[in-house]
Amino acid sequence: MERKGFLKSLLFGAVTAPTVLTACDKSSTDITPTEGTTGSVTNPGTSSTACAVAPTETEGPFPTKSPTSYVRSDITDGRTGYKLTAKITIGNSNNGCAALAGAIVDIWHCDATGNYSEYGGSGMQSTNFQSVHFLRGRQVTDANGLVTFTAIFPGWYSGRSTHIHVHIYNANGTSLKVTQIAFPEGAGSAVALMNGYTKGM
Amino acid sequence: MQARTITLCYRKIVDAASTKLWDRLVFEDSYREFRMQAQLYNPDKKYRTFGELIQHSAGAEQLHFLVSAAAIGYLQQLNETMPDVVNNLGKHFLKFNQFQFEIINSDVHDKTKHAVAINFFSVPMVWHDSIGNYLLISDTTGTERQVLTHMLQVQPFLSIHSLTNSV
Repeated sequence: MERKGFLKSLLFGAVTAPTVLTACDKSSTDITPTEGTTGSVTNPGTSSTACAVAPTETEGPFPTKSPTSYVRSDITDGRTGYKLTAKITIGNSNNGCAALAGAIVDIWHCDATGNYSEYGGSGMQSTNFQSVHFLRGRQVTDANGLVTFTAIFPGWYSGRSTHIHVHIYNANGTSLKVTQIAFPEGAGSAVALMNGYTKGM
Repeated sequence: MQARTITLCYRKIVDAASTKLWDRLVFEDSYREFRMQAQLYNPDKKYRTFGELIQHSAGAEQLHFLVSAAAIGYLQQLNETMPDVVNNLGKHFLKFNQFQFEIINSDVHDKTKHAVAINFFSVPMVWHDSIGNYLLISDTTGTERQVLTHMLQVQPFLSIHSLTNSV
């Protein structure tokens, strides 16, 4: 028997059969599960009588803390287009525009054909979980207030200049600013050089 | 009966009463993500519940999608195996690769109101027969001579999501 399973069965037996433990108590000086009156041994070393029943099902691999899938620098997710490296520096306008370290920066923008990752369907359809949040990313600013993302140059959709959405939070997740970075348009601009995008300027 | 191909949907509720480690991680992280993303639709801090946001703030239905990112890492840790649903031998066996995340309720000031659902959609399975309260199903890789089968109890929050009659 695996050790984990054995421990589970041990704990489960212990808390569901307190009468057996009590009976053992009388004949043994080695085991003293006498906290409170329940005879529980699932929380030795504390004075609490609260205890939790160990789960009996097979839980598979134990989960580990996982950050939101936005946390990555390369947000391309296989979208094709002109590679873009975006370096964004966050300054604190209340502090002489000094670099703001530890701020959370979310960015999101559309792909080369003008689609955002949430608008692929009704938004409530079932979906494969592998690349559902394409072109969305989250980074935390370093000591220089800097975050760096790798993506593709955003496409264009009707009525809007080419842009990247930005949402900045403090380290606690409180919203500080929602804004957009728009690219200059006209001859010689990066936007004008985006030949090959089907919905380009 | 004639074998038919089905997909199953398991709707897993995660709320303040959830106790399993995986569930707690999804609960805590999806609540944090909700509080962050909800600010996008609540610039004046007028609303506190998810229901209010949906009713009054244009575009707030995107929160289902936006908050789902908090769960993606945990979905990947499942290795495409559906949680909780076991066959009659007590083993996990259903594979999934499609999901749908929903916010059922939430409140930016009260974590105990936070509840989400993750709908897991199984890969296609062959439904051979029903025995009492059990579906006799197998994956689709069996030969004509023999297939290895599972018995799966009909239970709450587990439903046949789609059905294809074989020709």
